[in-house]
Amino acid sequence: MGAMITTIENIGKAFLSKILPLRGTLQFATRVFLNIFDRRTYNSASRMVFIHQFYFTSVQILPLFLFVAVIFGSLINGMAFQVVKNLGLSDYLGRLLMGFVVTELSPFVTVLLIALRSSSAINSEIAVMKVSRELNTLESFRIDLIHYLFIPRILNGMLSMVLLTSLFALVVLSIGLLVSSLVFGTSVDAYIDTLLHSADVLDIVILLIKCAAFGFFITLIPIRLGLNASQELTSIPVAVLNGMVKVFLAIVTIEALSSILRFI
Amino acid sequence: MEGFLADHKSHLGLVSLEVPLISNLPVWSNIALIRQYHENMPWEEAKTLALDLLRRFGVAATAEKRNPSLTAEERFCIMLIRAAMVRDAVVVLDRPFRIFPDLPDGRFFMDSLRKVDDLIAEAHFFDYNWEKERYGATDDAEN
Repeated sequence: MGAMITTIENIGKAFLSKILPLRGTLQFATRVFLNIFDRRTYNSASRMVFIHQFYFTSVQILPLFLFVAVIFGSLINGMAFQVVKNLGLSDYLGRLLMGFVVTELSPFVTVLLIALRSSSAINSEIAVMKVSRELNTLESFRIDLIHYLFIPRILNGMLSMVLLTSLFALVVLSIGLLVSSLVFGTSVDAYIDTLLHSADVLDIVILLIKCAAFGFFITLIPIRLGLNASQELTSIPVAVLNGMVKVFLAIVTIEALSSILRFI
Repeated sequence: MEGFLADHKSHLGLVSLEVPLISNLPVWSNIALIRQYHENMPWEEAKTLALDLLRRFGVAATAEKRNPSLTAEERFCIMLIRAAMVRDAVVVLDRPFRIFPDLPDGRFFMDSLRKVDDLIAEAHFFDYNWEKERYGATDDAEN
């Protein structure tokens, strides 16, 4: 009986140890989200942070991002057109491109690239600022961390996700046009017409919400976990490691939720 | 000291190793940040103001540098300028010899304060009792 109680207690403790940080993250997310609508957030200093962050996230990444988009676009289009041609399913080409490449593949590859590059940078930046007492500096000068540090990064994450996903989709669809004209001899007008007929407004809305949610959480979680660093230098890699694992879990969760929304 | 800081929180300009410069911002941005955030001052105007103040101290060449590449003297001057950017600043110099340890006495701090006299409302030193001779103090007050 005693062993059974101990086991149940251990299961309960393990459950709480997972749930309590999640609750803390959701409370933090709510606080940050509400502050997005606070007019004091949008001052000259925060705008400058936003512009710098946008440059680091969306502009500096462009050469690598375009390279990846071209490689993925060529591979996916090559495979898709081959399958469609061999199975005689050319009528479904538009659905395949819009339903898989644009709404699933584009945000997924984009979020992976941004998470690998920017989320890890944000996580270590916040952890270093915590360890070196630079967050104390901001507080001592009455500079709100949420307004000045967090919201510009989070808004940038959301905007960058939407823009880079659109760019990725555009590159892949452009390669699709090239392959389509080579394989099927399709004209530009016919190709665009096929895509437009296959586009579903609800899918596009879900895609935009998904991109914004990706952007929100892959910047919010590294910030939150960066703040968990202690005053020890050795806590920085631990904070970054925990942050990146949680970012990956958030990506999987959002991807699953959006699929449920699309297919129910 | 904590009580004093709490009482003057709204106008506090702290110069202390406990509130270091932000290392991923250049010097001018560390200074301009205060007015940009609290007064929504456009960055060009805030930068001009920061550069003018850096020139007063003869450290304008540090404008684009970052904290780790500054000398102790430059770091102190920039921390003081940043503190003076607070409107009607109550500047508190917390153990300034920790920031600039090589000084024989506190004259450099007094001279520096005079350079931003027009920007600050009050200035207060907080330091250990055994440092009082370096300030030329004669009483037994701890601050």
